[in-house]
Amino acid sequence: MSDESDDVDISAQDPVASAAGGESAQDAELAAVREALDGLRREIQLRFGAEHEDAPGERRLPASALFAELRRRLSTLGMSERSGEVDEFGMDEVVVRRARPVLDFLYERYWRVDLEGAEHLPEKGPALLVANRSGLLPYDGLMLTHAIERLRPAAERARFFVADWLMTLPFAQPYLARLGGVRACRENAERLLAADRLVVVFPEGVKGAAKAFRDRYRLQRFGRGGVIRVALETGVPLVPIGIVGAEEAHPVLFKWTPPGRALPFVPVTPTFPLLGPLGVLPLPSKWVIRIGEPVELSQLGPDAARDELLLSRLTEDLRAEIQALVDSALRERESVWS
Amino acid sequence: MSSEATHLVKRSPISAPGVVAVTGLHTFVADGLVRRLLQRPAGLRVIGLDCRRPMRFPDDARFSRVDLTQPTADGALAEILAAERVEVVVHAAFRTDPTPDLELDHELETIGSLHVMNACAAAKVKRLVVASSTELYGPWPDNPNFLSESHPLRGHPRAHSVRDRVEMETLLADWAARHPDVEVTVLRPCWIFGPRHWSRVTRYFSLPMLAVPLGFDPLMQLVHEDDVLRAFERAVLQPHPGVFNVVGSGVLPLSTLLRLAGKRSWRLPGPMLHRLAYFPSQGQTGDPPEAFYDYLRYLWVADGRRGWDAFGEPTYTTREAWISFVSSRRMRRYR
Repeated sequence: MSDESDDVDISAQDPVASAAGGESAQDAELAAVREALDGLRREIQLRFGAEHEDAPGERRLPASALFAELRRRLSTLGMSERSGEVDEFGMDEVVVRRARPVLDFLYERYWRVDLEGAEHLPEKGPALLVANRSGLLPYDGLMLTHAIERLRPAAERARFFVADWLMTLPFAQPYLARLGGVRACRENAERLLAADRLVVVFPEGVKGAAKAFRDRYRLQRFGRGGVIRVALETGVPLVPIGIVGAEEAHPVLFKWTPPGRALPFVPVTPTFPLLGPLGVLPLPSKWVIRIGEPVELSQLGPDAARDELLLSRLTEDLRAEIQALVDSALRERESVWS
Repeated sequence: MSSEATHLVKRSPISAPGVVAVTGLHTFVADGLVRRLLQRPAGLRVIGLDCRRPMRFPDDARFSRVDLTQPTADGALAEILAAERVEVVVHAAFRTDPTPDLELDHELETIGSLHVMNACAAAKVKRLVVASSTELYGPWPDNPNFLSESHPLRGHPRAHSVRDRVEMETLLADWAARHPDVEVTVLRPCWIFGPRHWSRVTRYFSLPMLAVPLGFDPLMQLVHEDDVLRAFERAVLQPHPGVFNVVGSGVLPLSTLLRLAGKRSWRLPGPMLHRLAYFPSQGQTGDPPEAFYDYLRYLWVADGRRGWDAFGEPTYTTREAWISFVSSRRMRRYR
């Protein structure tokens, strides 16, 4: 009896159960599809028409959605794509993350950067990385920072110093700051070093960036010895770095001083201003970044910063050291492009 | 309350003062400070000074009429300060909104401050607290990312109010050197934001559509009104001689502020922006537009660590101060 009833039960249940199971499977599938669709719709609404979040049933014409998006983009000119969280020097992690593929491409494919002497790079900050400056736009700063980041992915991103005139250049300024560029000045250096960061400095400044092509790889005067002074006062090590290849990326044939005072001068390269905005693009030279042995100045003590003669001698030593790094890299280079 | 307070007056280094005089009652800082000081349980007497009585002036405080733009203001003020045996003077009679009357602004902000200083010296006041601003550092392309208190005040060459207050601070530094017996505290808040504070800057940011310079996106630093008032209250009650930046923690790019408020903005090239805004700006502040828009173009973020050490960590970050402002104005439209 019980067997029979069981049988009946089973036989009665089986088709129902199978049908129900089939239905629930379909339901689940349907629900998943619906959910995915909902997600998509939300995504679309989020991106195109934020005003309509409250009324999901409402449809918008694609043209008007496009118009709204266009207006949104125009009102902020692409700057609304940022995370909005910046650190105290204006670096935005999201912008850095988005720029990383581009930087990787430039680093690996375009300039095929060779990093030599990586073992000399300090494990952690604070340290002043002193490099030769070349090319008008701060590609060398970006590439060196990127090289350090690839070498030490876990560490905090190094900051590179940017000359004043670039930090006030419309359009360039916000993006440089979001990527970790900091205006080159003493106060910023002290604050960054106090926060145990690696700071990339180019003591040649504008003189280095704007030197003519015939003077390539000849290091210019190191400002007024500010780097050594900061290093002595804060007791951080100096790491000399030679960068080879950046000079050919933007060969400055001569400087043209236009009337008016908008720019200090206009650099004339083989492509700029001949090709207009395209001329800003750098040439694909082969780059070598050579890191030298760190120089410890802490044993001299902060009082040594008051000795001007010592300062200028140390500055000259550092310049010679970087010049030697550059020269050795140049000697080993076979050609500009490979 | 006042009769109780008079016997507390001592001509010795003071920790908590008995009588406080506040100038410029029509400004937000002075008004808020008077109310805060009156809420304190200790017997503290507050004397408000202005050229006319504010509409809602608390009854607990005394009001005295002084017009700082008058040539005889220093004598009149010294009489009041001496008669009331004032120990601390808070000088906040500065324009939050510069007026097109450049002469009057100069008389009030520079010469009026000189009157206050001279009156303080004559009445042997123990402490002088002056409301300045980080605007006085000026938006300069070659500013460091964080301006310390010792950074020179370069102001803005075209903004007359800033120019006048830079001159005021120079005079004040000279005066303080000549009067070492008076403790001088200078508080420099950055742009104040919050639910109650109105100024030219907050009015600009309340506009439905903002015109901002194209190609620039400087880091902005804001401070909440409560943090400012708290700093002033502590500067009145405790000795903190020196100059202090009073700023919120953290910085945000201008574009992020606008996005947080859900605001539309026109990004216009500088020359076009200045031409469009020339007449409104002349009419409102008497300055050319760059006097304001340069503050949205270049960096003028101040280092607040010294002020935070003295007056405590700010309760609001820049972002929170902005959100507080935005939500109180009911203009928040997150996107």
